[in-house]
Amino acid sequence: MSKRQNPAEFLKKVIGKPVVVKLNSGVDYRGILACLDGYMNIALEQTEEYSNGQLQNKYGDAFIRGNNVLYISTSTK
Amino acid sequence: MATSTSTNPNTLLPLELIDKCIGSKIWVIMKNDKEIVGTLTGFDDYVNMVLEDVVEYENTADGKRMTKLDTILLNGNHITMLVPGGEGPEI
Amino acid sequence: MATEKKEVTLSATVEEPLDLLRLSLDERVYVKMRNDRELRGRLRAFDQHLNMVLSEVEETITTREVDEDTFEEIYKQTKRVVPMLFVRGDSVILVSPPIRAS
Repeated sequence: MSKRQNPAEFLKKVIGKPVVVKLNSGVDYRGILACLDGYMNIALEQTEEYSNGQLQNKYGDAFIRGNNVLYISTSTK
Repeated sequence: MATSTSTNPNTLLPLELIDKCIGSKIWVIMKNDKEIVGTLTGFDDYVNMVLEDVVEYENTADGKRMTKLDTILLNGNHITMLVPGGEGPEI
Repeated sequence: MATEKKEVTLSATVEEPLDLLRLSLDERVYVKMRNDRELRGRLRAFDQHLNMVLSEVEETITTREVDEDTFEEIYKQTKRVVPMLFVRGDSVILVSPPIRAS
């Protein structure tokens, strides 16, 4: 069993790492987590946008407004 | 009798219940009929949650879909209900 | 500003997500909005809610129609140009600045 980890600790660990950001609409963004704030607004680098598992778009940098965020996941690949 | 819930030792505050779930499976039901099951590793005052070994259940146009995920930070904003134990939805 | 950092990498200059927009002021940005709207325009101003003022804007609206006979899904894109526009922050999903030279 891994130790307790609250949201702040999780975020400290994943900044600078590849993540998947899923929005409530179902769209996924994969990229490097540059930073985020208390609203869960997110800055991603090397961002790829996936809808239904298919690549839709690429953005160098992307700002994602926090209210749309469902979760931030450590990237599985 | 107007006893405050926080002073009555017999009642459990809602977030104390969630705190007791840390280290165990929990089932999260979102506002938009998405459901998530995972091992709770922590949460904050907004009930943003860190979950491990996660399965996400969603209804898409092509039917039900299950997605496995490693560790996630779930936004507390869109949570409706939490079920300790969390066997997840019937599929 | 004397304290301004010299680093050019994103992670060094961007300490919070809104810095990404601060660096994009007066640049052309892409904005993805709720209800299938997209905007491309020059970012003139923004605030903490993501309310924004854009100029020289091209708005793209995507609509989905189903053909009654073949049940085929047809996506239609309508574009229009607006010289100056205020965007209410709550309908913003994503903002992408122009690709910076690295």
